[in-house]
Amino acid sequence: MSLSIGKAEAAEPGAAERVSVGAFIRQYPETITAALLVLICVAVAVINPAFLQPSSLIDIGRASVVTGLFALGVFVILAAGGIDVSFTAIAALTMYSITLLTTRYAPGLPMVLVVAMAVGGGALLGMFNGLLVHNFGVPPMIVTIGTQYLFRGILLAFIGTVWIMALPEQMIAFGRAPLLQFANAKGTVITLPLYVLVLPVAAVLTWWILNRTLIGRAIFAMGGSARVAERLGYNLRTVHLFVFGFAGALAGLAGIIHVCSNRLANPFDLVGTEINVIAAVVLGGARITGGTGTVVGTLLGVLLVTVINNVLVMVGIPSTWQRFVVGTFILLAAAFFVVRQRRA
Amino acid sequence: MTKDSQIERCFLQLRQIHKRFGGVHALRGVDLTLELGEAYHLLGENGCGKSTVIKVMSGAIAPTEGEIILNGESFSALTPIQSLAAGIETVYQDLSLIPNLSVAENVALSEQLVHGEGRLARRLDRNQLRVTASAALATVGLPTTRTFLSTVVSDLPLAQRQLVAIARAIATKAKLVIMDEPTTSLTRREVENLIEVVARLRADNIAVLFVTHKLDECYRIGGHAVVFRDGECVAQGPLANYTKAEIAELMTGREIKSERYRTVGPRQEVLCTIHGLTAAPHFHDIDLSLRKGEILGVTGLADSGRNELALAIAGVRPAGSGTIVVDGDKASIRHPADAIRHGIGYVPENRLEEGLFLEKSILDNEIALVVADLANAWGVIDDGKGRAIAAKVAADMRLNTKDIDMPVGSLSGGNQQRVLIGRWLTIEPKLLLLHGPTVGVDVGSKDTIYRAIQVLAERGIGLIVISDDLPELLQNCDHILVMNSGRLVADLDAATATEEDIYHAMLASTSEIVQ
Repeated sequence: MSLSIGKAEAAEPGAAERVSVGAFIRQYPETITAALLVLICVAVAVINPAFLQPSSLIDIGRASVVTGLFALGVFVILAAGGIDVSFTAIAALTMYSITLLTTRYAPGLPMVLVVAMAVGGGALLGMFNGLLVHNFGVPPMIVTIGTQYLFRGILLAFIGTVWIMALPEQMIAFGRAPLLQFANAKGTVITLPLYVLVLPVAAVLTWWILNRTLIGRAIFAMGGSARVAERLGYNLRTVHLFVFGFAGALAGLAGIIHVCSNRLANPFDLVGTEINVIAAVVLGGARITGGTGTVVGTLLGVLLVTVINNVLVMVGIPSTWQRFVVGTFILLAAAFFVVRQRRA
Repeated sequence: MTKDSQIERCFLQLRQIHKRFGGVHALRGVDLTLELGEAYHLLGENGCGKSTVIKVMSGAIAPTEGEIILNGESFSALTPIQSLAAGIETVYQDLSLIPNLSVAENVALSEQLVHGEGRLARRLDRNQLRVTASAALATVGLPTTRTFLSTVVSDLPLAQRQLVAIARAIATKAKLVIMDEPTTSLTRREVENLIEVVARLRADNIAVLFVTHKLDECYRIGGHAVVFRDGECVAQGPLANYTKAEIAELMTGREIKSERYRTVGPRQEVLCTIHGLTAAPHFHDIDLSLRKGEILGVTGLADSGRNELALAIAGVRPAGSGTIVVDGDKASIRHPADAIRHGIGYVPENRLEEGLFLEKSILDNEIALVVADLANAWGVIDDGKGRAIAAKVAADMRLNTKDIDMPVGSLSGGNQQRVLIGRWLTIEPKLLLLHGPTVGVDVGSKDTIYRAIQVLAERGIGLIVISDDLPELLQNCDHILVMNSGRLVADLDAATATEEDIYHAMLASTSEIVQ
């Protein structure tokens, strides 16, 4: 698509064309995200061609799975006009409890059931958020700050603070199962794990729900105007329970993948990364005020943040600068969209 | 017509509907019959019960007494679902569209929602969505191309949004479409289109009920007039049976309390002259002059430009061109602070959102404008001086409490308004703009506010009162300026003018003005 814009501009670099490019960007704000991503990748590749090696690309793929699953959940809640900062606590609580449970009482439990428990547990915790938001009318920001502390408090106070290093076999196997495996020039074996497929599957599912079902349209309707949506007969309770439950389920899934890929259940992990995830979703073009955004944009935002967090080191930018760069991008992108809107 | 077919055509009947809100008797025995395929115009002044009767029809409120006969079935009250299921669709002034969804979704999603009885765990039938939306859009004369169907509603101009809202009513197979002031913000050509749409709806045997102020348009659309006054339906019949003057008289015909509050006349010195003030597209070439101690009324329909004129003088939304001279100084007003510097105070229409700090005390609200003067070199506020000022204002404005530490939110509407007016007295204003000074205020408080206004005028302050409460203007002002379509069309002497005179100027069509 960017190709066709380029052509149009070359043929007729008049004001009218610029307006239509602006309109295009307004309609698909993720174009900006994609452009930033390409820009950074090209710049990094020029300065340090090592970036283009399969190993670094695979690193990025692996690193984006957990953030990506979180981000899809946050995106769905943002689309409905809400916000969630408790998802990392949900992930930590479910991943640690379920790993503990499996290790102690059911070491032979099939992996499918372990994942199902994580998803189910996450969904229940998420729906608890949804109930609080809907029934008491408390702003979701406050509710989820509260439940973040609550869930994490339950985890650390009642369940455990000790790292679980000896994971059950099936979890280790799940973390190791290869999708692709090959040796690089130095002879090291590089593995693209099977679990990276979870992200695209979850993304397609999320896309399908949002765009091809009534609940999906109800989510955007509520994000556009909750008052009007209610007047038109949309059941806001269902929508609230669904979006928070869905985000919780994805968080539970992300938690268990995190454990399997690290071969370690650390109860202190994950919490603290929520701003990074929300930043990715916002960089993907979803407005914090709700009702907008796309799955593709969210994934691009996740890739952008992951790339910044992983490859800036490769071009000699110290890792302490990552936050600075992400912050700058968020401000630039936000300012860009606001200016665009004012002109339109 | 046989009796049977008449019953068949009769869609909705209200019989002796009463509605009381606490002590307010909003509807006093309304009888109304609506037939399919007919157009009705619900006319009346603000607060006459028009919106209450619509809410009874749409099921938003239950009447206190009376009977509703819908499709031959008798109800004491309708629920919103019963009303919708029977095909009563209301296009509210806010249109109730979802801004971030596409045109097709706004028009046709409801159909699938209703079909699934509200269950959301269903696949979206996108073909059905497109088919339904296209059919409904074609009826209202909007394009049915894929691009238009997928356009996000917030990207459409207002007139098209209005039609999209009507298309949604059609898509849900409405029998009666109620439109609340549909033409208020439309241009002439857009109104023409709306009129065609209404004709098409009537041809499809759908009843249309307009709530409107604009008599001209009623006559162009034709159909029946339903005139409300003080919660009663005072006339119902074919529009052709009434002249415009007769309808205006029916609308305003109540016994007007003619007691004038105006105490003394204006002084000789001119306080403020405005010349050629223009803020396109809201108002053009406004000339007026105000003497010290004069009370000038400004009125007009909601879209006449009167609100924008007030905001321009107050600097809230500055005018594009023209001059404002205050006390001999040419004032360049680009910002509310400029207006305040020239001694112009503005009491907004929506005092709760734009004027008062509700959780703060009377004291804090009264000294808000002078708080910088009360502070010493260290920025510490002289509490004693502030209290003295606030107490004086509270006494001047005759607040019903002496406790200036009471939060403003706990006061009655009338007292809140006086707190707001009183705040301006702390800066000794030359000119005060009062925008809807008695909106949402009970009758007793109106009286105190009117007396307070007269006291201000006696002090030599010039006042401009922007209001659509005509008796209020007639009782309080020296002159009444009437705006229509962005221009001043009449300057009436408030001592001798009548409500009919004002209405005539307010409602005259633009073509008549140009002549």
